[in-house]
Amino acid sequence: MVGKSARAGVVRPAGQERRPTGDDLCSPFVEFLPVTGVSISVVGETGRQSTICASDPVAARVEELQFDLGEGPHWTAMQTGQPTLVEDVSAGEHPEWPVFGEALLEIGVGALFAFPLPMGAVTIGVVDLYRTTPGPLSVGSVATARSLAGWVAGPAVRYAIQSASAEIPSEMQMAPELRREVHQATGMVLVQLETNATDAFFRLRAHAYSSGQTLQDVAHQVVTRRLDFRDLRE
Amino acid sequence: MSEVSRETKLNAAFVKLADTLTADFDVVDLLHTLVQECVDLLDTQAGGLMLSDASGKLQLMASTSERADFVEIMQLNAGAGPCVDCFTTGKPVSVADIDDSDQWPEFRGAALEQGFHSVHSTPMRLRGNVIGTMNLFSTSLGELNRADADVAQALADVATIGILQERVIRESSIVTEQLQRALDSRILIEQAKGVLSQTANLDMDEAFTVLRTYARSNQLSLRSVAEGVIDRSLDVFSGQLTGRPRRA
Repeated sequence: MVGKSARAGVVRPAGQERRPTGDDLCSPFVEFLPVTGVSISVVGETGRQSTICASDPVAARVEELQFDLGEGPHWTAMQTGQPTLVEDVSAGEHPEWPVFGEALLEIGVGALFAFPLPMGAVTIGVVDLYRTTPGPLSVGSVATARSLAGWVAGPAVRYAIQSASAEIPSEMQMAPELRREVHQATGMVLVQLETNATDAFFRLRAHAYSSGQTLQDVAHQVVTRRLDFRDLRE
Repeated sequence: MSEVSRETKLNAAFVKLADTLTADFDVVDLLHTLVQECVDLLDTQAGGLMLSDASGKLQLMASTSERADFVEIMQLNAGAGPCVDCFTTGKPVSVADIDDSDQWPEFRGAALEQGFHSVHSTPMRLRGNVIGTMNLFSTSLGELNRADADVAQALADVATIGILQERVIRESSIVTEQLQRALDSRILIEQAKGVLSQTANLDMDEAFTVLRTYARSNQLSLRSVAEGVIDRSLDVFSGQLTGRPRRA
């Protein structure tokens, strides 16, 4: 990755154009929290999780295992929108993720903390933090982790969208979180489909992807009432 | 405006701002108050306030109008306009005649189309940190006079200190939780506007008015009202809790 000089999560005398890289998004977590490593993943356009950065091979493996097995704190955080904190991986049973628990001990993970990436009421992905030694995260560290997670959520989704697209998108397309209509359309679709915000947002993205349009275009059609997701249901 | 009434109004504006800085104040509310007070006090017609996100992009947090055309001006301004220059340099930028601002053709076109001829950008800064800018638009030509510019800066400083709270500014200049929460609140508000718009067939401006009116008359933060609207636990039209919260 290029551009290591700058880091997400930092107020810089900015306005300058630069794309965040995955590494930029990971580094503040390791720098400011008492953890060994971190990986960040977001839900991609096709609905599959994709890892946008991992600070070390163990962090990458933690993510990979959870995707392969379909279980682990990552999924709990994704579903509940709340942090999932496992202070001691070796302590007691983990009925929700029996296989993953075993695998974690084998790769030397003592504690695991999963934080949702929020975009308003939408959870767009998860930050998985691990430490080789067991032990809790302090209240202050949890607050810092939540703050950092919120801070990288916008760039994380933008990064994932950029990576998914071969063409260089326009400025508007590069920054969907800038576009109010995307959030407004999320609210409208959640009413139309009687679902929650996260699901509504992913339906918007999936429709954009499958119809070859940008997320902004689809959102604009929803907000101007030219597209109603109730009409799309099979 | 006479000096006495001006001073009275200025004091009232500071008191109003200070009043919003309670223990669990709502940043979006604070910023709305700041922009509205400045527009009223400084004889300008519209205002918008942007804060910087994680990648240094400016996000519109509060404006005197939620109308799409005004929002568009602010977004163009955030791409290339006095707003960006002010944010980059950390210094105020005054544009006496927007028609002369050839360096920002898109911003110029949109602003003139809406009848704005001058704009003044004030940095939101504390020590070395610039966290955003406040932009005041006027339908007449000419720079904001020095005294008015100082008032805008003083009010912006009060709000900035409130947001950053001295203790949380670390040497690393990692952004504070408060600021992060503010940016996220703005997204929640947009999502809640969508819910209300779909539910009651309102346009987005009307939806925002419903949210804000409900928050004020029930002394709730905009954020908490938005959250209740999105997870459908709050019906702002009947004013009743629906008793069926759903995780959003």
